[in-house]
Amino acid sequence: MQFLLSEDQKMIRDMAREFASDKIAPFAMSWDQNHEFPMETIRQMAELGLLGMTVSEEFEGAGLDTVSYALAVMEIAKGCSSVAVTMCVNHLVCSILQDYGSQQQKDRYLKDLASGREIGSFCLTEPQAGSDAQNQKTRATRTATGWVLQGKKAWITNGTYASVFVVTAVTSEDASGKKEISAFLVPRNAKGLILGKPEHKMGQCASNTIEVTLEGVELSEDAIIGGENGFKVMMNGLNSGRVGIASLCCGIAASAIREAVNYANERVAFGAPIANLQAIQFKIADMVTGLEASELLTLKAAWLKDSGKSYVESASMAKVFASEMVNRVTAEAVQIHGGNGYVREYLVEKLYRDARITTIYEGTSEIQRLVIGRGVLKKGFL
Amino acid sequence: MKIYVCCKQVPDVAMTIQIKDGKFISEGMNYVLNAYDASCVEEALVLKEKYGAEVTLVLIGDEAGKEALRKGLAMGADNAFHISDPALNNLGSQAAAKVLQAFFKGRDFDFILTGKQAQDSDMGLAGGILSGLLNLPYVTNAVGLDVQDKMIVVKRQGDEGVEVLHMPMPSLITCSNDMNDPRIPSLKGIMASKKKPMEQVSLTDLGLSADEVLKESQKSSLKSFGLPPARKAGAKIEGDAQTLVATLMEKLTKEAKVL
Repeated sequence: MQFLLSEDQKMIRDMAREFASDKIAPFAMSWDQNHEFPMETIRQMAELGLLGMTVSEEFEGAGLDTVSYALAVMEIAKGCSSVAVTMCVNHLVCSILQDYGSQQQKDRYLKDLASGREIGSFCLTEPQAGSDAQNQKTRATRTATGWVLQGKKAWITNGTYASVFVVTAVTSEDASGKKEISAFLVPRNAKGLILGKPEHKMGQCASNTIEVTLEGVELSEDAIIGGENGFKVMMNGLNSGRVGIASLCCGIAASAIREAVNYANERVAFGAPIANLQAIQFKIADMVTGLEASELLTLKAAWLKDSGKSYVESASMAKVFASEMVNRVTAEAVQIHGGNGYVREYLVEKLYRDARITTIYEGTSEIQRLVIGRGVLKKGFL
Repeated sequence: MKIYVCCKQVPDVAMTIQIKDGKFISEGMNYVLNAYDASCVEEALVLKEKYGAEVTLVLIGDEAGKEALRKGLAMGADNAFHISDPALNNLGSQAAAKVLQAFFKGRDFDFILTGKQAQDSDMGLAGGILSGLLNLPYVTNAVGLDVQDKMIVVKRQGDEGVEVLHMPMPSLITCSNDMNDPRIPSLKGIMASKKKPMEQVSLTDLGLSADEVLKESQKSSLKSFGLPPARKAGAKIEGDAQTLVATLMEKLTKEAKVL
């Protein structure tokens, strides 16, 4: 067993690290405080190839493995998790198109998204249906020429800036109430696609989140992705998305630990730096151990995916563990900073807020536990 | 145009430097492309994009040196030479220049760029010595480069203005990191760098013996490393403006004796 990154993976990690420390971190607090979506930075990331990392070169992606992608997200999230989540959601849309899109859909949309010329958005959640995704009410009705979509989507990342939306909708429902859900490609200029105002969030304020309304949006026949049993399309997309979010959590945690360590070494109390106190040392030990475990779970899930092995439960384990870890770690980082950690002048205040969403979006902790528990109980455990 | 950039790999200055018993602890350190050399690579690439050029990197060093070279290749340099030999560890400036002199013997080039100094040793000597050994026109501390009518236009930053020099080809120019903001390699660049030629060069290939290098190395040798002493705490003057100025004047004239 080897825990070694390849030379390519190290170079990719270093490149993302350099970008994050030069082009993201210095501005992250200002973007957060002004609720500013850093479009220029996203464009620069596109030029470096960071927006379509695992998409094949044929479709203008970088053709890289999931481990490289996870490493890059970790580094970008050290700079700013809002930027990382923008990257993750675009990647999610790319993955869905790469895995299930028709040649025509790939030519039309994937090249633009993988190259980062355009940004994509994924619309699954509805005001009344988050974890209960089967309960969604958005309808896709067949017409003579294609489909009409009607419904409302909530908490849509990248919405204001996206050129194309992958929208899930119910295509049929049998007598027992069992629904068939499919995914559709909706271009930004589609008539009846109404984009709401950006939400005012607790954290990740430099990412864009809106409500999307579909009012009789007419789509052609070929707008459907992967046919009429598209639930697997979005579930597979979400599974791989979890590796990205777990990586993002590791990035936030790494920043929080760096800040906490620096502060503990500088802050003097009882006549010496607080780093000399066992109370602080134990906190730091737990924080670093949690991060290490999360990184290993995350990279393992990424490696399983790259190896073509089943990774669904592993991705959920990484996501639930890393997101709960980063909530503890950022809370402890604030604690180590004392009162200073509660004010906006200190980065840990932002990190604490940024961490909070991670146990909620892309599948709550509760849903991850369902995925893991059901998976293990079904397969048996020897 | 043929541009050579002489590079060095240095410990990552963002990491904490550890010194024990006068020795630098290299274990666990990341090695990166010297920032001044990275500026040379960037400037060479800008000239390549403007006028067309072949950008070649040269580096003396162990395995860690390869990573620095790959970074330069990933940024966009065309090829690289990795001069490596057990006798070449911890070279002084004189010996490094001697090895590079042997490397450049018989090679065709329009100019050589190298950082005005390395971030680790901060000697700033190798470039100058190499220009002497190769008998090349030499200018230091460039902050801008261009090519006009087969002359190299070099900008140097002075205290009161910018000096512009026209240098013939070939020349050797050492560069400041104020010259530019080196590009971050793209993922495409990183993947392409694997396929670019990186040639291994040994001492024998250069017609040098380990003894010759050792002799050059001994002209200057490194005795030990130490951390700079911790800075003494500054004095804080308090009070209203009148008191502040009076106390400061008193300190400047009587204690510091600078006025």
